[in-house]
Amino acid sequence: MKKIILSAGLILAAASLSAQEKGYLTGSFETTDHAYVADEANRFVPADDRFGSNNYLKLDYYNGNFSAGLQMEGYYPALIGYPGELNKYALSNFYANWKDDDFQVTVGTFYDQFGSGLLFRSWEDRLLGLNNAVMGARFAYNWEDKVSFKALWGMPRLGMEISDTQVRGADLSVSLSNIIGLDNIILSVEGSVLNRYEKIGIDAEEAGGSPNSIGYSGRLNFDWNGLFLKGEYVDLGKKLVALTPKRGNAQLVELGYNGRGLGVTLTGRRLEWMTQQISSKSVSSANLISYVPAMSTQYTYMLTTLHPYNPQLGDEMSYMFNSGEMGGQLDAFYNFRRGTALGGKRGMKVHANFSTYYTLAQEGSYKPGNLLFRDLSVDIEKQWTKEFKMVFLYSMQEYNPTYGSYKTTYLSNIFVADLLYKWTPTFSTRLELQYLTTKEDKKDWMAALLEVNFAPHWSVWASDMYNHGSSKMHYYNAGVSFTKGRTRLAAGYGRYKDGFICSGGVCRQIPQYTGANFSITTSF
Amino acid sequence: MRTFLLTVALLISATAFAQVPSVTVENAKGEAFNTKSLLDEGTPMIVSFWSTSCKPCIRELDAVYDALPDWLDEVKFRVVAVSTDDSRLLAKAKSFAEGRGWGEEYTLLFDKNQDFMRAMNVSVVPHVFVIDGKGKIVYSHTSYVPGNELELFEAIKKCAK
Repeated sequence: MKKIILSAGLILAAASLSAQEKGYLTGSFETTDHAYVADEANRFVPADDRFGSNNYLKLDYYNGNFSAGLQMEGYYPALIGYPGELNKYALSNFYANWKDDDFQVTVGTFYDQFGSGLLFRSWEDRLLGLNNAVMGARFAYNWEDKVSFKALWGMPRLGMEISDTQVRGADLSVSLSNIIGLDNIILSVEGSVLNRYEKIGIDAEEAGGSPNSIGYSGRLNFDWNGLFLKGEYVDLGKKLVALTPKRGNAQLVELGYNGRGLGVTLTGRRLEWMTQQISSKSVSSANLISYVPAMSTQYTYMLTTLHPYNPQLGDEMSYMFNSGEMGGQLDAFYNFRRGTALGGKRGMKVHANFSTYYTLAQEGSYKPGNLLFRDLSVDIEKQWTKEFKMVFLYSMQEYNPTYGSYKTTYLSNIFVADLLYKWTPTFSTRLELQYLTTKEDKKDWMAALLEVNFAPHWSVWASDMYNHGSSKMHYYNAGVSFTKGRTRLAAGYGRYKDGFICSGGVCRQIPQYTGANFSITTSF
Repeated sequence: MRTFLLTVALLISATAFAQVPSVTVENAKGEAFNTKSLLDEGTPMIVSFWSTSCKPCIRELDAVYDALPDWLDEVKFRVVAVSTDDSRLLAKAKSFAEGRGWGEEYTLLFDKNQDFMRAMNVSVVPHVFVIDGKGKIVYSHTSYVPGNELELFEAIKKCAK
């Protein structure tokens, strides 16, 4: 299979080379390397070889409507906390693609997504160690800006290999407003269907399971002068959870307004048995074929990310069933313009978010059960003078340490001040001061970060996160980076806490570790 | 491996300058938008890849936003801000951009499955390109610290010459 696609790609490439026009080659390279150090205080003992190294090389060739490319990955071995199946070297992705204004055909590995991704998404996220590109073929067609259609078939990648699971899917999007010719209004209806095939064992078959499952989704997209409404209904079809038949389904609604310096979005979502994996045999965190992220604020400040929200998709837990979750969030952004009373001379930006999620009260219900997560946050950003800018953030987070099994929740209040001062046009410093206060769990934390920037090339930073309320542990980190054009080199040393690395609302668990790190990112 | 090296050699031998590939993304209203059509106007542009959880990206786009009136006095160009947020943060990214006034000054694009990002070989954000009126990439830079925007302005001035 690999060989056929590779040869097809080569023939197409050669054919396009013989054409008049010259094409171009572009690519990127990334390496991240760790050297681990034993650290008794952090309860960390490194593996024998003490090293980790993740490497990615990607090349793409474009010539007119034709493109082809590949990606190679090497893990010698994978960095600590990465999915275990990432190991050694593989030519992991390669494709050939033809696209004009109306048609697109891809053979080889490709990424795609239906709607919001609740039914199907293949994507890459190197921070998560996830690449579930589908190896197969895809066809897409657009009839002007009125109708777009795509169909795909293939086998998703899991770790270094292509899995045996097959997916076949189609997606149709019809713009009613463009067909009728409405101005200022956008109205489209969309739908997708996905068939997943995986061989199953005899016990699963006896319990009424089937190797085939068929899921579908229906969507609506409306926009009128900045006022918007989006709705999505997903049915994953029948599946077995611990040999019991369940029907996966989800509902998602987004309603809001964007305009005149104001942006408001209200999101509501309900999930029930929405776990959809590539392989029923793998327990990897990258074993995903759909995208069901946490719909809450994704923070970046150290103390705000101690307990990120992990959505409950509906699964068998060690001692109970958790059929899913429901909840929502409200986001509001406002820009107080220059010259207004609150805006002052340079304007002021304000953002507030409220998110709240509950377990389902009982299977199939639309009633909330136990609180899983709640967050109320406000952040204010103000440029005081030409040189000085301040961000202040307050977040009240409440999370359920038993993922909804019991009612007990932990509440914490977090304060962050982020102060940027530009001493000269190219020399600046940034200071973060953070405090977390809680009566539960590990009690109070404090943290600080200082970053010194010498544009255009150098940046140096040091930070410390200190749990003064309970463990008296310091989690320190210092580093330096050099950037020139499209190349960035960074090196650092630090002690890291166990917890979750989250990207795009999907999280993977990482253990605590201590050590040095080095990375190069470049593209050409 | 041999086939691979052969192909690379073959391709490099026939390489011209890098351009803007044709990829379908979304505009602010959620309609399909082909990135090739960015070149229709024939003006130089800054294409900046950002996301709502990337603080340096936001600082860079804000710095450009603040300097824009002065820069536009000297050179004619436009700014394209490409959000790489997943569908989870898509609605938020739109509200965020509006709440910062970017919608009035920038062309906002949304690349929810990172197809455009991959096609431009951007591995981390912030990543910014300066593209001349003919679609040729004349400058690009990854990461941002305050002051980097000055290089950006120099690059766009060169395009206009």
